[in-house]
Parts: sequence; C-alpha cells; structure tokens
Amino acid sequence: MNAIIPTLAIFWLLMIISFILMKRGLSIFNDVAKGMGMFMLEKALGPAIDFVQGKPGSASRTWIMHGMIWTMVASILTFEGLWLSHDPTALHSLGAWGYSPDSQELLYAGRFAGVFGAAAMMIIGAGLHVIPALSGTNLASESNATLVSGLWTLSVLILVIGAHSKEILGVDVMVIGTALQSLALLAIIMNQLLTISNATRPIAVPGWLIIFGLIGDPIAVLSVILSGAYETGVGQWLVYHMIGGTFLFCGIAGVSLYASSMASGNPLWSRTLVGFTLFGALIAINPLGSTDTTMAADMLGLQASEISSSTQDHISGSFLMALAAIPIIAYSSNLLVTLRGKDAFVENADSPGIAEMNMGALLLVPIAIGALFVQTDALGGVGELSAISETLDLLGLWAVLIPLSLGTSLYVLPQVSGRKVLSVSRSRAAFWLMSGGAIAGLTFTIMADLNDMALVEALAENPSSITEELRILGSVTFYGTVLGSIFHCTNVISGQFRGEKLAEEVESSTTLSPHTYELASSTSVRRILASGATLDTEVTPVSQSEESGSATEL
Amino acid sequence: MSDQGPSQISEFIQGEKEPESSSVVLVLGVVSALSFLVLYGVLYPGREMPVVSELLPMFEGVFDSGIWFFLLGAMLGVFAIIGTMLTEATSE
Repeated sequence: MNAIIPTLAIFWLLMIISFILMKRGLSIFNDVAKGMGMFMLEKALGPAIDFVQGKPGSASRTWIMHGMIWTMVASILTFEGLWLSHDPTALHSLGAWGYSPDSQELLYAGRFAGVFGAAAMMIIGAGLHVIPALSGTNLASESNATLVSGLWTLSVLILVIGAHSKEILGVDVMVIGTALQSLALLAIIMNQLLTISNATRPIAVPGWLIIFGLIGDPIAVLSVILSGAYETGVGQWLVYHMIGGTFLFCGIAGVSLYASSMASGNPLWSRTLVGFTLFGALIAINPLGSTDTTMAADMLGLQASEISSSTQDHISGSFLMALAAIPIIAYSSNLLVTLRGKDAFVENADSPGIAEMNMGALLLVPIAIGALFVQTDALGGVGELSAISETLDLLGLWAVLIPLSLGTSLYVLPQVSGRKVLSVSRSRAAFWLMSGGAIAGLTFTIMADLNDMALVEALAENPSSITEELRILGSVTFYGTVLGSIFHCTNVISGQFRGEKLAEEVESSTTLSPHTYELASSTSVRRILASGATLDTEVTPVSQSEESGSATEL
Repeated sequence: MSDQGPSQISEFIQGEKEPESSSVVLVLGVVSALSFLVLYGVLYPGREMPVVSELLPMFEGVFDSGIWFFLLGAMLGVFAIIGTMLTEATSE
C-alpha cells in the first residue's frame, strides 16, 4: 500500500483550505465565529480564568519560563539515560522506591521533555509575542493563553511518566497526555487565529510560518487518519516527520527569524527565502528526527509497526526528504546573514540569545544532511545506519532545536517582562556549557555508536573497551548541558526580579521598516537606525515652532 | 560629640551587595575546617571520625555509582532554582 503521496495530498489540500479560510474568513459567520471563539476562550471556563492575570505579555512569559524549567529537566533525564547506557545498574538503589528505569526509558522521557516541554513551550511562548507584534494588535486572550500553559505542562509531565510506564492501572497514560496537549494546542490555535483576525496591518511571512506551524500539527494527524495509513509503519513514520516539519520546524523558523532581526537590529535579509522556507517546509518531508516511530504510535495510542515501504513510497519519500534541503538551507542562511547584517550592527552582538541562534542555524545543515542519509536508509528497509539514529536525533534536539528556541526566548522574554536577564556574562557562560556539553558529549556517543556498528559488521564476539570509554566520556561531557540549563534558569528567574529594566521601547528594523523618518532635531545615525529605519528610509526634516506652549483646549 | 543612642536608627538596615571580604571569610572557614580534619588524622591515626563514620554506612549500596556525584550537583542546581524563586519573590 502506498501511503506517502495520498497522505501528503490530503495534508496539502487541508493546508490550502485552511489558508483560504484564514485569508477570506467565514463570510457572514465571521462575527459569530469570533464571538463564539472568545466565549470559549474566556467565559466558558468559568472561575478558572480568574486564576490568571491577563496583563499583556504574561502568557508569553509563562510559557517561556515553563519551557526553561523543562529544558533543565530534559537535560537531567538525557544525562541519566546516557550514563545508564554504559552503567545500567547506576540507579538500582532507587528500586527501593519502586523506580528502576533503564537507559532507553530515560532517553525516551528526555525526548518528550525536550521536544514538547522545552522546545515546544518556548516556541509557542515566543509566538504569543511575535504574532501580536507583527499584527499590530494585542493577543486575543492573554488569560486563556496563560492558563493553558499549565495544561500543557501537565500533559508533558504525563508523557514523561508514560515514557517510563505506558500503562498505569490499565490506563494508557500516553493517550491522556496527548489528549490534554491537543486541548491546549487547540486553545492556542484559536487564540492566535483570533489575534490575526484583528490585525491592523499585513502580517510578515515569519508570522505565517508560526501560524502554519501551529495548524500543521493537528492537520498532519488528521491527514494520516483520513488516508488510513496510521496503522502502517510508513504512516506512523510520516506523521512523525510531518509534525516535525510543520509544528517544530515552521514554528522555530518563524520565531527565530523574527528574533534574529529584532535582536541584531538588522532587517531580515531576504523575504523570498522566508517564502521558500514556508513553502518548502509544507511540501517536503523534514528528515530531522529518529527512525523509530514509537513516539508517534504511543502518543496516538497505536501499536508501533515496522517500516516496510513500497518502492513508490521509498522513491517519493527519499525525493521529498532531499527536497527538504531547500527550506533548511534557505532558513539557515537567512538567519545567519540577518544576524550579521550589512556592517550596521545596531544592537549589542553579545546580547543573550544571539549566540544560541547562531549556533543552532550553523549546525542545522550538517545535522539535516546526516539525518537525510539515516532516514533514507531506514525508509528503504536497510537499517544499516539505524544504530546512530537515536543519538543523531538527540544531537538535532540539543544542538539545533533547543538552542534556537532558547536563543529566541532569551530575546523575547525581556520584551514581554520589561526586564533583562540578571547577568550577560552568566548567560554567555551557560551558552558555552550547554553547547559544548551537547556537541562534544553527543559526538563522543555517536563515535561509540559507530564503533558498535563496525564491531557488529565484523562479527566480533567481545565488545570493545573503547566503546565504553567513549560512552563514559560522552555522558560526563553532556553534564555541561545540565549545568548550562541550570545557570540559564537561575539567571532568567533572578532577572525577572532584579534584572536591568528595558529602556524606552525601541522599534528595531524589520521587513516592515518605516518609509519616512521625521527629523526634528540633530541626532546620530545610530539612533536613526535603531528606530527601525533602513538605508532606503527617507529622512524628512520637520520644522519646530519657537512659540511658547499653552494648555490644550478640550 | 553627643551620644544620641540607637534611637536614630529605627529599622533594620541591610546592604544590597556583598563585600568582597565576606567570601574571604568563607574560604578561611572552609580551609580551617579541612585543616582540622587533617590534624585529626595526624593526632588520632587509624581512628574513625566521630558522627561521620556512623552516618556513612547508612549510604552504602545507595550512592555506589559515580552518577550520584553528578546527580548531587543537579539536585543542588534544582534547589538553587527553587531557592532563587523563593528569595527573589519574597525579597521585595
């Protein structure tokens, strides 16, 4: 049975219908739908909505803070998983409390915490600031968005528990976690759609990346259900990568392109490349991620199936994964050039977040190329490279996805809370610890995986001591990521209370740069550029009256 | 010079920044403690440490892997985050 093209055809059709509906609205039902939507988001929740504050920016701040805490939890779980891969009985004493995890369970739990807790929460949190900013309006319901952050965190907690034990008292906890997460995501989608319906200006393309990222998740699941491929290995593999390509890739691309422009003070380098990123991400299959489809199957309450693709599925899947190079390179190059600008770096290049975004964009292309080979191999049923799939997936998570979402959050958080992080130097130290620990630690682990593969191929009977030494080195080095995430958390939390207050709000240049700049008195070029002007902005002198002022007549 | 007494200061005053010398005092304390431990070993060779030697066997078979040193650091980090939240929220 061919699964890839029919499923993708349904997905593309649903995405086109969604775009048309978003652009044209629901005709005479528009006002009714908006009213119903707002009612569902606020009044329908009853007294629960009064538990949270509805101050502008509070939702974004809450989501990002939750995301940062989950980053720390994910790093600890992943570190433990890596350690137990060479010392399986290291945590046996916890068995007295009924908790005796193995390496695979801890790594699986770490992936849930890292993808849905850390990265997804920071992407959604940043999106709650970016979409209103690009729309020139306020978020439709700050209270609801703040409230559902708790629901999302609860769902991630359930998924992390489910990664250890899928069934508790006969109940499939993973499905409950997925259901709660879907509910929270639905609320966020409604909130963002209501926000863009009140837009006062055309939304720049990064905004559409975020919107398509959000709606791509449920539409991907719906497509695979409608095509009937959800029970096949290829169908489960496809939905895993469709969600990765839309919800995660489009989401992170949207928020980080916005943040790269605003944080560096440079205009977005190319609008065409953003368009290519959006179009390519929806058309192609993103190769990043694991070859193991258990995560998708568990979340949907299905039995994980082996990937056994037909020839047509293999050809179309490989072609569409190779096509993903276009949006990935377009996004990476656009972000890197935007950060560097045209020798007119208005903001501080050492601002927290810029280094993380820079590293994530730099490593995206080589890791995606590696993932392309591994996924093509797995889709063809060969499985020669499947031994490095899991570690490569972890590398993609810790060297690309989390740095990009964390970097974006470090820029967005001061904008929504009004206070910077407590210490820039501590933020820089945390960056080096996190990035160094993740890249070096997981590279050593990949070396151990490759060594194991070579030994299996050579039919060696005894395991090599080098493999174990590399795994020890990998897990110990990864501890830097744990320390870095803890430093980031304390720095950000302290910054919320004692961090330097942001000066008067300054609009930096984006693709929506002003056409004219009214010059009332002498000023520096730096100040003009910092206000959002570009080289094409027309500077207009404005005369000032010397007459003494008087009270305004009402 | 008149003695106006303590009535001039009506409330408790606390500086916002730590003086550099306070960390010197802390380091001195740690070095002294370590020195006394070494001195104990020199003066009473072969004898077990009081209290500590009775507590340590309780953890035999529990912290028997190197991972616990790292997890102890992570636990300290988690408590540092919780402590930061509590102290920052209550300090103003």
